[in-house]
This record gives sequence, structure tokens and C-alpha cells, in this order.
Amino acid sequence: MKRLKIDYKQCCGCRRCEVACSLHHSENTVNPKKSRIRIFSEAAAFYPVVAGLFNNAECTSKNTVVIGDKQVDECILCRASCPIKPWFKEPDTGVLLKCDFCGDPPDPACVKWCPCQAITLVDEEGKIEVKIEDVKKDYQREEKKPSFVKKLEVKSSSLIF
Amino acid sequence: MSGWVGKLLRVNLTQGSCKAEELPTHLTDLFLGGRGLAGKLLFDEVNPQADPLSPENKLIFMTGPLTGTGALGGASHAVVTKSPLSGSIACSVSEGYFGPELKFAGYDGIMVEGKSPGPVYLSIEDDQVELRSASHLWGKSTHRTEELIRAEKENPWIAGETSVASIGPAGENLVKIASIINDKHRAAARFGVGAVMGSKNLKAIAVRGTKSVRIANGVQFIDAVRMAWEKFKTIPVIPQALNNTGTSFLVDVINKRGVLPVRNFQTGVMQEVEKISGEHMAETILKANKGCFACPIACIQITEVEDPVFQGKGEGPEYRTIALIGAGCGIDNINAIAKINYLCNELGIDTLSFGSAIACAMELAEKNLLSKKETGVNLTFGNAEAVVELVEKVAHREDFGATLAEGGYQLALHYKHPECFIGVKKQGSPAFDPRGIQGLGLDYATSNSGVSHALGYLVTHQIVGIRGEINPLITEGKASLVKHFQDGSAVFDSAGLCNLLIFGIWIDELIPMLEAAVGMSYNEQGLFTVGERVWNIERLFNIKAGFTTKDDTLPQRMLNEPMPEGPAQGQVCRLNEMLSEYYQIRGWDPQGVPTQEKLKSLSLL
Repeated sequence: MKRLKIDYKQCCGCRRCEVACSLHHSENTVNPKKSRIRIFSEAAAFYPVVAGLFNNAECTSKNTVVIGDKQVDECILCRASCPIKPWFKEPDTGVLLKCDFCGDPPDPACVKWCPCQAITLVDEEGKIEVKIEDVKKDYQREEKKPSFVKKLEVKSSSLIF
Repeated sequence: MSGWVGKLLRVNLTQGSCKAEELPTHLTDLFLGGRGLAGKLLFDEVNPQADPLSPENKLIFMTGPLTGTGALGGASHAVVTKSPLSGSIACSVSEGYFGPELKFAGYDGIMVEGKSPGPVYLSIEDDQVELRSASHLWGKSTHRTEELIRAEKENPWIAGETSVASIGPAGENLVKIASIINDKHRAAARFGVGAVMGSKNLKAIAVRGTKSVRIANGVQFIDAVRMAWEKFKTIPVIPQALNNTGTSFLVDVINKRGVLPVRNFQTGVMQEVEKISGEHMAETILKANKGCFACPIACIQITEVEDPVFQGKGEGPEYRTIALIGAGCGIDNINAIAKINYLCNELGIDTLSFGSAIACAMELAEKNLLSKKETGVNLTFGNAEAVVELVEKVAHREDFGATLAEGGYQLALHYKHPECFIGVKKQGSPAFDPRGIQGLGLDYATSNSGVSHALGYLVTHQIVGIRGEINPLITEGKASLVKHFQDGSAVFDSAGLCNLLIFGIWIDELIPMLEAAVGMSYNEQGLFTVGERVWNIERLFNIKAGFTTKDDTLPQRMLNEPMPEGPAQGQVCRLNEMLSEYYQIRGWDPQGVPTQEKLKSLSLL
């Protein structure tokens, strides 16, 4: 099964994937807020988040993650769109957005447009390489070493969707 | 409307009113947008004789039809006003996310008029446009301003997507070399545009939008962007060099050509160049790359200096900063240059004009025309600590900083040695010595907004040797080449493309992107006419402001003092061999005034 692999260490924050996604999904329109992939930027690092399933209720287990010198809600990096989150919804119509891998077979526009190989299409047999706990640890490690992401020797910088 | 979003936001600070107007379509046909359209609006609405720092002057932020569309390098916006530094029209182009975000909010541009009674900042969120008090932001650095404005947003995503263009203490104190900083490290730097914003008591503009930019033909557009990027990648070395070291890869290239502005343009070669080269920067302080909106080149360098003396982090320095503050002031320490760059961005000072003014002061001190008693610091070439100290003083106009704040020209004039100031139309020279690049000398002399390397991007052609090698030391054929590049660069600035793109693509690649985005057909001839029209309207503004052919000149050092060493040894810039030919090719009379026929043919009459 094809999956999207996102390596936030590679991301240069240009948001070209947002343009690609909106051009692909809404005809002749460039609007990053209609994109199913969004870049969150903090502490000179960039975190691409791909839109996942809709959750019709706010979840109860909320942690904080530390990015750079800031504490943010784990929601920020959560893929689901839920009633309390304004993103992954079309701003004018409120239509919920979810990544559809640009059709079947998967041919994601964001992968094609990404200039720095932060988003790649990989073959994964339903295997989840990284658990969210590992990623959380990585973010926390950054707090102790308030430096730039690329320099850190983070064990797992990628997430597979 | 495709490409453009069709609205111009008019903000009157005196009345405190903000209203959206229709974008004049008859003008977008003639001037596209960005620099061209803003230049035309300034010409129509501002008296060229006006005092640049009075409420009569206007400040225009304008994007082009390709800004925010995802076109290759489509991330730029132009800031156009009357310059307090030179008194000419000022066009300063910046990239980043500000321009695209402005278009997503539904505006092609912002026209700022009048003067606010107290400090304000402009907040734009789609149709919600309001002026808010900025008394809590006044006196703060550009970075702090951005953080405080973002902190007002509840949601971290919304905060992250809000783009802020602001002035630092330098702009507030009407420092003539102040810049407008957007997205923390991108700058509309030159010509003192920050002082104009400060004179209006406008601290910042914060913008976020959720609207769409329409593209006429999306499929065609995607194809055109891909073709342009493929073309850019075929240029040898440049794409990798820009990605690995940013524009600073030029330091070494320019030094090899012998045209680095070493010690206030006293020579063109620097011995210790490897200590400030892009390669050295990449090995030491570089941490990561960053791209402006939808730009795959990602030439922004995120850097961090760990050296305790010059500790700091941010972005850059770019080539021009390394050349003018590093080579220009004889500083061979990349950590120090980076620190000065961070400070300049935080305080909102143009690194080029600052470097040029400091280098001028250092030369005056070297010649014993300026004593330590007057400066308060030991201003010898290479003294980085003194320069770091002076950045703050310039921003706050303290002590010797007050003299430097007026720019290099006034400084040299103050000490009665105007020949020590290297620049044109009172504006400090960019980081290439025209003695080794004859065409660039002509470009400097005739540039409308004081002197700028970016307004006629000849470097790509004459130095880096893209599009065939040409001999930079001869003057034949340079007049037409300069016109060609000036017009072409004006098209890039007006369309909303970053002019670094000129390293790899030219009008041929721009046309398909523009056609697909706006849904009209363009041809090469037509676009060069647009560029020529932009150049002529700016020239008309300057003529009405009192500029004459006497101002189309170069500093004495470039005209009369031969280059002492290096590949350009013995050369001076032979401007007079090119200038009259240039006027003729432009269709201007011998006094440099556009003729009636020329203006008629450009539909400017």
C-alpha cells in the first residue's frame, strides 16, 4: 500500500505543497486554506501536517508538545479535523477536507511539487514506522537543546500517513 | 479576475479610514502590477516636489499578478514611495509571505496616505480591516513587534500564518536608511522606505487571508511553472549554489572578477575572502534552508552564531550584506557580519546603506578626517565590535549615530569630503564595483531610484556569464544591453516575481506563466514595452522632482581612479562612452528627458 512519508527535517517551509493541493482539488484556485496539507512553522522549523479523518467530537486526551522554546497543544500536529479546530475546513463553505492521495492509484500533487523531498510516496504494508510517543520525545529533546532541527540527531524525524 | 484579485486597499491615516477600491484595469493592462502599477499610482497621486516625510507623500505596497499564485518565485511585493534619502522615486522589492498573504486577504495592494496622530498598526483579516493602537509596539524591534502581534491571535496556526511587515526603532526615528522588514528577515530595504512608514506613525501591517487567488487555466499554469523550474535547473551550478549557500556564493565569484567593494571600493580584491565566502558560511553558521512562498529554490539561509561575542540567530547574511559590511568595512569575520545583519534586521536598518555609510566613515577616519572624539568608537577598517556598537546608535540616533542616520552622502558632505561617499543620487552603491563591469556603471548611473543592483539585474549576465559570456570590460553594445535588462527586470518586478529568478529564466519562461495565470495573451515585445513604460514613468517622476542629466553620474572614484589590482586592474568606468548612446536608444533627448514621441508610443501621454 502506498503511503505518504513526511520528513519535517527536510521541509524548507515554502508551502509549495499547499499551492499544489489547492490547484489540484479546487479548479483554477490557489488558496492554502483549502489545502489538505498545511505547514505549521515554529522556531525556524516547519511541520507539514496532512489532513486525516474527521472526528465529530473533541478528543479528551490532550498533551502539550514542546517545539523550540514554545509549548503548543498536541492538536497542532494532529491530523484530524474536529469541531474545535478551524483548519482542514474550506474557509468559505465549511466543507471538511481530507487527503485523498489525489486518486487511485495514488499520485499526490504535493509529492510532485515538493522541492526538498520532505513529502515522499513510499511503499508500506500497513506498517506504522513511528509511534506518536516517539515523536513527542523528539520534540521534548529539542527543548533541552534549543537549536535548529536540522542539526539535531533526532532518531525519527519522519511520520508515515 | 484571474491573477489579480482586483482590489486596492486605500488607508487614510489622517482620517483613520480604510476602504477597498476596484483595481484600475486600464492600468494593469499597461503596467501589470507591482513596481509598475505602484509607480504609476505614485506619479498620478503624489506631487514629485513633496517632502518625502510629510503626510503628502504616500506609501504603496503592491503585489503583481503572479504573486501568491505558486508561480516560480512568485512571492514578491514592491514598496513604492518618494525616497527621503535621494528625493527620487523609490521602489524597494521584498519577498517572503507578506505579498501572497495580502492577496489571499483579497487585496492586490495597499495605498497608505496621510499621517496618523498616534502610533497605529494596520490589521487585515480578509474584509476585517482596522487601524489599531500601536503604542505598546512603539520602540520595539521588528522581531518583537511581529511576536507581539502574533501573540494576540488565539490560535497558533492563525498566528503562524499571519504575516507582518513592520519598522524598527530606525524607522520610528526617521533614520534615512531605515527599511521595512517582513517575515522577520525579508526586507524592503533600500531608499529609506522605513522612514516614510515611520513618518506616518504606522508601525506595522499584519495580514492574513482565507480567500482564493483565481488562475485562468490551472492545468496550463501547472505546466508552465514546471517548465520554468526545469529550465532554471538546467543552468549549471546556480540552482545548487543558491540552495547550498544562498546568494552568498557570489562572494567568491565576484572576488575572482575583482569587483568586490573592498574597503569602501578602494580595491576590488580581498585577500581573506575565504573567511567570508558562502562556502565558509555553509560550513560554520548555516543550519537549514528556507523558501519564500512556493519557491523551490529555497535560497534563504537560516543561521546561528555560537561565538559568545557575536552570539545570535536568524537568517542570512545575503551576498550584498557580506560584501558591503564584510568586504566594504574590511571585516573578515563571518560571525560578526551575521551579527550585524541580525541587528540591522531587528532594528530595521538597510544593511547596504548602513555598510556603505560605515565604510565611508572608516575611510574618513583612515585619512584622519574624522577623529575618535567625534565617533566615540575606534573606526578602523576591520573593527567589527565598533560597527556592532554603531548599529544601535544609528537606530536611536545617538551620538555619532545621528550623523550616520542621514546616510553616507550627508556624512561625507558633513566632513567636506563628498568624494569618500560611493553612491549615486545620494544612495550608497550596491556591492559590485562598476570599474570591472562597464555596463553595470551605466545601470547604476541611470537607475531611477538612486542606485540599485536589483533594478536592472545585469550581474547575472555580465559576471556569472549566464546566456553566453560577454566581455565586461568593453563599452560597445552595453547601452542596448542595459536597456534590455532594465526593461526585463521591471517586468519581473511588476509581475511579482523575485528577481533572483533572472539567474535562470527570462521573459520566455515568464510569458507562459503569466498567460495561464491571467488568461490574456502576451508577447515578448509587448512585455518589454511594459518594462520600458515603467522605466519612463519613473524617469518622469524624477524629472518633475528636479533630477537632471547631471544626476546620471557615478562617484569620482569609479570615473577617475583606476582599479589598483586584480582582473580589472587599471580600469575606470567609461560612463561617458555609453550615456549618450543610452539616451538615444531610450528615445530620450540629450538631456535625458523622454521625448513626446516616445511618451506617445508608450501611451503615457
